[in-house]
Amino acid sequence: MAEKKRIELMVCTGTGCFAGGAYQIIDELKKELELFGLKEEVTVVATGCNGFCGQGPLMVVLPDNIFYGWLETKDIHHLVEEHFLKGRPVKKLMFIPPEQKEPLPLISDIPFFKKQLLIVLRNKGIIDPEKITDYIARDGYLAISKVLSSMNPIDVVNEILKSGLRGRGGAGFPTGRKWQVASQQSKSPKYLIANCDEGDPGAYMDRSVLESDPHSVIEGMTIAGYAIGSTNGFIYVRTEYPLAIKRMRIAIEQAQEYGLLGKNILGTNFNFEIEIREGSGAFVCGEETSLIHSIEGNIPEPRQRPPFPAQEGLWGCPTVINNVETLANVPVIISRGADWFSNIGTETSKGTKIFSLVGKINNTGLIEVPMGITLREVVYEIGGGIPKDKKFKAVQTGGPSGGCIPAELLDSPIDFESLQKAGSMMGSGGMIVMDEDTCVVDVAKFFIQFTNDESCGKCVSCRDGSDALLEVLTRISNGEGMDGDVEFLTELAESVKDASMCGLGQTLPNPVLSTIRYFKEEYEAHIKEKRCPALVCRNLIEYYIDPNKCVGCLLCIKTCPTEAIKGESKHIHIIDQEKCSKCGQCMEVCPPKISAILKITGKDINNMVQLTELISCKEWKKEHEPAHS
Amino acid sequence: MFENITNSKIGSALVVGGGIGGMQAALDLAESGIKVYLVDNKPSIGGVMAQLDKTFPTNDCAMCTMAPRLVEIGRHKDIEKITYSEIESIIGKPGNFKVQLKKKPRYVDEKKCTGCGACVSNCPTRNSVQLIEKEKVALQPQYVEKVTSIINKHRNRKGPLMPILQEVNAAYNYFPENVLKYISQEIDYPLSHITRVATFYSSFSLKPIGKYTLNVCMGTACYVRGSGILLEQFSEKLNVKVGETTEDHLYTLKAVRCIGCCGLAPVATIGESVYGKLQAKDISGIIEKKKNEAVEYAKVNN
Ligand SMILES: Cc1cc2nc3c(=O)[nH]c(=O)nc-3n(C[C@H](O)[C@H](O)[C@H](O)COP(=O)(O)O)c2cc1C
Ligand code: SF4
Ligand code: FES
Repeated sequence: MAEKKRIELMVCTGTGCFAGGAYQIIDELKKELELFGLKEEVTVVATGCNGFCGQGPLMVVLPDNIFYGWLETKDIHHLVEEHFLKGRPVKKLMFIPPEQKEPLPLISDIPFFKKQLLIVLRNKGIIDPEKITDYIARDGYLAISKVLSSMNPIDVVNEILKSGLRGRGGAGFPTGRKWQVASQQSKSPKYLIANCDEGDPGAYMDRSVLESDPHSVIEGMTIAGYAIGSTNGFIYVRTEYPLAIKRMRIAIEQAQEYGLLGKNILGTNFNFEIEIREGSGAFVCGEETSLIHSIEGNIPEPRQRPPFPAQEGLWGCPTVINNVETLANVPVIISRGADWFSNIGTETSKGTKIFSLVGKINNTGLIEVPMGITLREVVYEIGGGIPKDKKFKAVQTGGPSGGCIPAELLDSPIDFESLQKAGSMMGSGGMIVMDEDTCVVDVAKFFIQFTNDESCGKCVSCRDGSDALLEVLTRISNGEGMDGDVEFLTELAESVKDASMCGLGQTLPNPVLSTIRYFKEEYEAHIKEKRCPALVCRNLIEYYIDPNKCVGCLLCIKTCPTEAIKGESKHIHIIDQEKCSKCGQCMEVCPPKISAILKITGKDINNMVQLTELISCKEWKKEHEPAHS
Repeated sequence: MFENITNSKIGSALVVGGGIGGMQAALDLAESGIKVYLVDNKPSIGGVMAQLDKTFPTNDCAMCTMAPRLVEIGRHKDIEKITYSEIESIIGKPGNFKVQLKKKPRYVDEKKCTGCGACVSNCPTRNSVQLIEKEKVALQPQYVEKVTSIINKHRNRKGPLMPILQEVNAAYNYFPENVLKYISQEIDYPLSHITRVATFYSSFSLKPIGKYTLNVCMGTACYVRGSGILLEQFSEKLNVKVGETTEDHLYTLKAVRCIGCCGLAPVATIGESVYGKLQAKDISGIIEKKKNEAVEYAKVNN
């Protein structure tokens, strides 16, 4: 590592902050530092994802550990002058917890970071992911040297078995067992694949690992290769992740340069190569057999198992497929020992898990927490609760294969078994928080739409079953639901589960089943009362203007794209329901002080219709309108 | 339509296809006094049914259904069979069509042939395989350099198809038909296989797409924050449906699933630029912003 400077500015350049203009911030910082003559004392480091994406663009000032969020280029001049020249940290840019006034300067005080336990993400935001020296300085590549100098492949497999590490790709299969099976195969060559297809919508853990610490994955893959006796590794990254691909490419080149990849690694006779393969936008390619077909250049449809890939995989050879996060755990387990690792977590689920905490939550971002933490801790302590004081409704885990977990179960621990028991699953770690404004029928419809699009079409149950589910759900959300629909959905969902071949089809009904299980009354409201309690389903809601609040400011009239709002300045505006496309833009522009636009459903609509008729009549106008003018 | 046919009506009909349906149609027409031409591109009539033993769902004997019709067509004075022929063109209106046929050579004088089959059993080359020499696919000049270099780069690695397709897609944004055929020929994968792979992935397209791909994220995090409405607005403003390209070939509107910026939800991207925390009212601005580039683009194209 280059010599230590007085101050280091760790600017996050993960995709979220990158999109928010992190590189402009870096340029500005460099410019200002030069201006103040601080170039020699202060360095700017572009790091991988810091995790607190909701605050981006952001940076952490080392060694003081001061956190600055929501940076804008115009703040930089002030910041450099005050903090780095005069030594007075700028309060204005620090993190202020919701509903509080005092900022929290230290990153360690911020609740979002406090409850986390970093194993996989141990280097996030501390190293420059494009510099191998940074990784080595943080004890990187020690594990591989330990393995190559003092362990047999069998020892490595046993160590992983003992640690209790389970796959982070979704199903939670014990990693050691998978390696054991592959290492016992006599056929060669053997292959190792790191799965970074990460198709779950709302999840970006694997991307973040590659972007912030690519070398840990390379090291994990090399160890895995040694353990199973493979010399060829592939890493399958989805093409939507250009930054991750770029950083991985750089990391591989550097590792080769340092003799940590390629022939005779660290002077031993062990060889290992890694090749990057890109996916091209098909969710089902995350499934292991489908992924193998995709690399081979075949039609990427899953196939029947057994034989499992560990027995017969890529080009018919034994192949271990592991998730990126699983592999990034491996170097730490090797260096710190299986016992240390198995002390973290619960009886059956060891270690930590990364979740992407997104949706209707104050602190969105990536978190790494020990298994067994409760949902309540995650949502309220780390996540800082729900914005705008709305009520928590459910958290969706496991992506399209998972389900919604309602408020009653907030205190249950997060591990593979408990989530399964709750009708959801761990999945790859998306955690989408929903508040009272989220309609569960709509969410179920959304997921079925997704799986319906992504089904490869091999199994009738999955292809046509999802069609049928979607049709019924669409009908319900359109207000055309019929008695018996819920029972039909349940029955159909069960048969899709039973009859599909791969994980996609087998888990696709989960969002439907879990929402029916916990929110049946909401389905009933849609079907029986034609009412959407969360005010989401378009056909069941209407927008109205509250005549008692409208001040006639014309704002909504100017905004409405379909010219559905009638009225003149200082006169009450009225929405023409025939023309209204229900885009909700009027609600966005109506000044919060006034908030005259109402979104209503069910019986309320009838009351409102009567009121509107009343407003339109001349008598009423005479009586009320002058009040505003 | 009917006013045109009053006086120029012709008293004959052409039936295309000599399968069981075509045969019955020809017979019905001929029975009602119309002269019928029955065309088939195979050397004989009968179609697929002639190859079947039983028919679904009645389990009737196929030949028993067909044979009487075959015979009747063979001897009906008003039916003229034109087999081993392809239709070249059809012009005209209902009631009066002109059809041009191309009769393939049989190398046998049909008037004299009795169908004895002796030539078949005596033909010395009867059992030799006659492979049709596949026509070499030639690339259009604008593709030659790029495509051949991509293919050469990957042809020797294991599983070359995906990397080749990905790079070609990156170069042209879609797969020109000829290029796919060329790839098939060069790396010796059947074209049907390549087409299936090329149509499986959502980032590949067989049709040219716009200069910019406007991706609206419909991932879960974005969806619960209202990206559904945004997508509709984009679609309305650009006047295209999802998956379509605007007339000026500037935008292709796509719905994607999570681009990994869930912290900024709802998100849309145009090319490299990411627009986070989008609101419906920002949309016009974003489309507008690219207008200047659109003008430039038009200049280059004209
Ligand atoms: C439809 C479907 C999608 C999947 N997507 C992913 C994915 O995006 N990333 C991943 O690591 N595993 C995914 N998996 C799981 C893989 O099939 C496989 O189990 C996993 O990569 C094994 O790694 P692990 O043992 O480390 O969990 C998916 C499975 C299915 C059925
Ligand atoms: S379950 Fe669905 S995605 Fe899986 S193989 Fe069958 S059709 Fe394809
Ligand atoms: S869900 Fe939209 S970026 Fe992840």
